[in-house]
Amino acid sequence: MTRNVRSATTVVAIIAVALAAAGCAESAGSGGATSSGSASGDIKIGAVLDITGAGASLGVPERQALEMLAAQVNSGGGVNGRKINLLIEDDQSTEAGAAKAASKLLSTDNVDLLLGASRTGPSLAMRPLAEAAKKPMISLAANQKIVEGSKWVFKTAQNDRVVIERLVGDMKANGYKNIAIARDASGFGEGIPEMLTEVGKDAGIKVVKVEKFAPDATDFTAQMVNIRAAKPDATLIWGIPPAASLAQVAYKQLGIKAPVYQSHGIGNQVFLDAAGASANGLRAALGKMLVADQLAGNDPQKPVVAKFISDYKAKYGQNPSTFAGHAYDGFTIAIASLKKAGTDPNKLRDALESTSSSPGVSGVFTMTPTDHSGLTKEALVMVTVENGKWKVLDGPK
Amino acid sequence: MSDLLQLVWSGLALGAVYGLVALGFVAIFSVREIVNLAQGEYASLAGLSAISAVAAGVPLLFAVVVVVPFVVAVSVAVERVAVRPVRHMTPLVSIILTLGISTALKAAMLLFWGPEAKALPAFPGKDFVFAGVSVRSQELWILGVAAVVSYAVVAFYEHTTAGKALRACAEQPIAARLLGISPRTATMVAFAIAGFTGAVAGVVGSPIYLSSWSSGLTLGLKGFVAATLGGLVSFRVAMLGGLLLGVLESLAAGYGATGYRDAVAFVVLLLVLLVRPQGLALKATGVRV
Repeated sequence: MTRNVRSATTVVAIIAVALAAAGCAESAGSGGATSSGSASGDIKIGAVLDITGAGASLGVPERQALEMLAAQVNSGGGVNGRKINLLIEDDQSTEAGAAKAASKLLSTDNVDLLLGASRTGPSLAMRPLAEAAKKPMISLAANQKIVEGSKWVFKTAQNDRVVIERLVGDMKANGYKNIAIARDASGFGEGIPEMLTEVGKDAGIKVVKVEKFAPDATDFTAQMVNIRAAKPDATLIWGIPPAASLAQVAYKQLGIKAPVYQSHGIGNQVFLDAAGASANGLRAALGKMLVADQLAGNDPQKPVVAKFISDYKAKYGQNPSTFAGHAYDGFTIAIASLKKAGTDPNKLRDALESTSSSPGVSGVFTMTPTDHSGLTKEALVMVTVENGKWKVLDGPK
Repeated sequence: MSDLLQLVWSGLALGAVYGLVALGFVAIFSVREIVNLAQGEYASLAGLSAISAVAAGVPLLFAVVVVVPFVVAVSVAVERVAVRPVRHMTPLVSIILTLGISTALKAAMLLFWGPEAKALPAFPGKDFVFAGVSVRSQELWILGVAAVVSYAVVAFYEHTTAGKALRACAEQPIAARLLGISPRTATMVAFAIAGFTGAVAGVVGSPIYLSSWSSGLTLGLKGFVAATLGGLVSFRVAMLGGLLLGVLESLAAGYGATGYRDAVAFVVLLLVLLVRPQGLALKATGVRV
């Protein structure tokens, strides 16, 4: 693809096209607000995703999933006869970008519902805006703080707390007590050492060392050297790829023998590609989609997951990541609630909150007024990596 | 002790990549007073092109050998399209021009390769542990290639007639012209060399530090800081400055907090500008950066 770009003319042409495209991207979606909040006309769903920047490995599959699903709903006649108008904004993986994009979607485009952001930090930046505008928002990120005590905000990724509960169970079973943590320095990793200490107290688990890394860091020697010096029984790496992969590689390269636990932030092929052979033997609590072929036949999620995977593969030629799954869950829960309640913000919010036993890709969702996340640790399975492939360690307990 | 050595070692490898990028800044600035902010983009472009070539089935080392001339051609094209038509080039004009080029290159790379950071497979070799320090074979490649490239660039500029002619253009443009040295050709050759060092930095660094459409910005800034240590005209100090910067970053991350890593370069830049704006080694050039 690259080597035919030889002459200066071609380069200029590319640059011109690039600029033109950038200009178009700029103007797309900034169309005037029409028929907003009304009971007829298009339903506007605004999505704020990490399409460029540190969270790109999450945001890109999420965008693909949303575009595919919106097209499916519209070709099937829309929601109660109303088309879905999906407006996607890139927050460039920054808090400021997310706030800007969310306020544009809320005030200029007047969307009926917000999806996003892909990661915790940007989601937290969007939360007060959605609350002030009194519009429902469904985040695709993990940290419990996004939804805690909020009336308007929901989310579809598993809470980090249920992930940690699952990991602590596994650490306990293996007798690991002194744990070192290398965590993402942004919102996703915020509060993880404290939570592990709290959840693991009864199992005698102690956090012996905490190292941080920037989500876009590429060299992890410094952090891993410090972890090696702490001599832990096991190490928990809490981040998203490519950082989580590079941390895994650096860990193995320094010859640290203690086993590695990873978070649910690694649920995509990008992680395995970048980590290569270093990923073998790691343990993680992940959603079931990655191991769909290894699920029991009577699992309520199985048909949902199978259809999503085959649709996504047919359209994009690759397997969806768990992040695409979070987007699927957010979108389908939103559509189900829109079908029930229409676009009146209060009714829509109530409908979202009454979502019950709804099988999705990341788990079976049951929202309540006190739980806007809707998943328990049953939504997760302990997996390991064997020869570059995900493998289930146990059935859900 | 082995922790310290480990940090210094990984810092040296990182620093060699900065140094290679810094050589590109110096290669151009020492011929004409142009600061080429697209320097970091050459590295991302080379890394991403090589990754695509490998994905298309081209053997790794062959891909690397093909990609480097491609980026050199891009750099020469940049000179033809954006630099040559400008009549009164000043460092400031050059910064604005090349910033535009850098943005356009980034946008093109984002369109072609998408937003995700990718890694080139590691070059052949086995990782090993020496004196408690884990050595990645790729790090040896980086340091070895950086040594060869910087030696070659210094030898060219200082010991060949063509190289001396290039420097003459910067010091005495009119006299150089009278002697039949074409400033146009000189600038073009300088851009070719800058494209070469940038591309080499991109392909040798990619297996460890990844390549993405946006990675050129930080890399370019770090390389620029290293180059200012040499007053933007000394190859030797620029390379050593790159190594020093890499080691300082690694130590700051290891003994301080990793959040300080990226601050190191800017603290160094501030110190250089405040204390010795002419660089550590040389006479003042009269240029403020």
